[in-house]
Amino acid sequence: MGPYRFINREFMIVTYETDKDLLRQVVPEPLEPNPDGHVLYEWIRMPDSSGFGDYTESGVVIPCFYKGEPVNFTAQMYLDDEPPISAGREIWGFPKKYALPKLEVCSDTLTGTLSYAGQMVAMGTMAYKHQEAPGGVEAQAKGMTRTSCNLKIIPDVDGTPKICQLVAYNLTDITVKGVWLSPARLHLIPHVNAPAADLPIKRIVGGKHFISDLTLPHGRVLFDYLKDA
Amino acid sequence: MNKKDVIGLASMPLQSPTYPRGPYKFFNRQYMVIRYKTDADAIRAHLPEPLEPVGDTVSVQWLDLPDGEGFGAYSAAAQIIPCTFKGEQCNFVSQMYVDNSPPLAGGREIWGYPMKYGKAVLKVEGDTLKGSLTYASQQVATGTMVYKHDAFRKDYSAEQELLGRTQVTLKLIPDIDGKPAIAQLVGINFTDVVIKGAWTGAARLELVPAVNCPLADLPVKHVVGGLQMVTDMTLPYGRVLHDYLAK
Repeated sequence: MGPYRFINREFMIVTYETDKDLLRQVVPEPLEPNPDGHVLYEWIRMPDSSGFGDYTESGVVIPCFYKGEPVNFTAQMYLDDEPPISAGREIWGFPKKYALPKLEVCSDTLTGTLSYAGQMVAMGTMAYKHQEAPGGVEAQAKGMTRTSCNLKIIPDVDGTPKICQLVAYNLTDITVKGVWLSPARLHLIPHVNAPAADLPIKRIVGGKHFISDLTLPHGRVLFDYLKDA
Repeated sequence: MNKKDVIGLASMPLQSPTYPRGPYKFFNRQYMVIRYKTDADAIRAHLPEPLEPVGDTVSVQWLDLPDGEGFGAYSAAAQIIPCTFKGEQCNFVSQMYVDNSPPLAGGREIWGYPMKYGKAVLKVEGDTLKGSLTYASQQVATGTMVYKHDAFRKDYSAEQELLGRTQVTLKLIPDIDGKPAIAQLVGINFTDVVIKGAWTGAARLELVPAVNCPLADLPVKHVVGGLQMVTDMTLPYGRVLHDYLAK
């Protein structure tokens, strides 16, 4: 049972601009996608996670608005450890699939890769700690309290929908140990079962690298499609 | 995506659902079932009420699934506890390990199969049908069976009865606030079962204690025998046998 505590959770986030019409198609109503067409492609190293162990994650997050409040919608997520896949899907509706992401420092480069079903589908590179982000660790910790949301879908045993909800959670007890901005590049390769490249890269906005401790608590229902739609 | 289309999604994520809608047809689905006697008190402890245990024999089985519609090619291992539900003979699936994410997610979310990620292998090595299961880098189960010793049998009625039994799973899905959203006993009956071949013979089974893959919690006292089967079959949706949350 949760909540779940993460120590030394390391993020590399490459923000890019994509096609706004495509972005609208992959964001479920009543969420509204950000007007800039921005997408966050993330790698996360989680060496010490209570209940879950040591694993790595990669995926697509889309900044959105829910009733005017800025929220982050998790569109795709790939990881290499089954308990957080199952718990992620079943508790919070994280859209998790099994794949092999990696985040490591290779010489002068922070490098993220994602391999799905034996094929490389994403590769991100970021220069290593070129400058501290404006506002430093305090501003980053504050930013990480932003509401995150997922589309939770669980079928009933007869195949009809049982749970179909937009759910939300907020990270707590956040300590940021360092945060850096640096130039970044991102390469996405089309793959039907890991379709990050369906939101094509028009322009790279930038890269952010940070290390934190944080707690993932249970959440709440924002919108219930079976009741409210 | 509009709200009506959201309700029509088969599974998460929106952009590439992990599994499509069922039913799911399997071709050349191969089993090695090793039945063994274990401790009757341990069976009772592993079997949720209102299911009732039957005898002291359980099985560990390996499945090779080379062609599962919607799921692809994968392998599985499972522990099965024979039981009764309201007097009907059933098989309770107490543990299951697979190496492929769509059937793992679909298995848990639709039917409540208690699937975790483990690497099961079922293959013929020399004169031996061999099953192995690796969980978190450790080999936790090894089964071996003689290869097609009773090669000329044509009566598969016992196997038809076995595969026709209701499979029972315990489906548990939390709500977003951590409380239980679904807590049900689910019944599943495979359809269109075609037995292409079935062979019985001597077998051995070794289970290694491991905390997150605890097959050995039902210890092997005595191996009864092995059963190899090659089948085609369809996995349909199921039905609720018992709802633990119903008032």
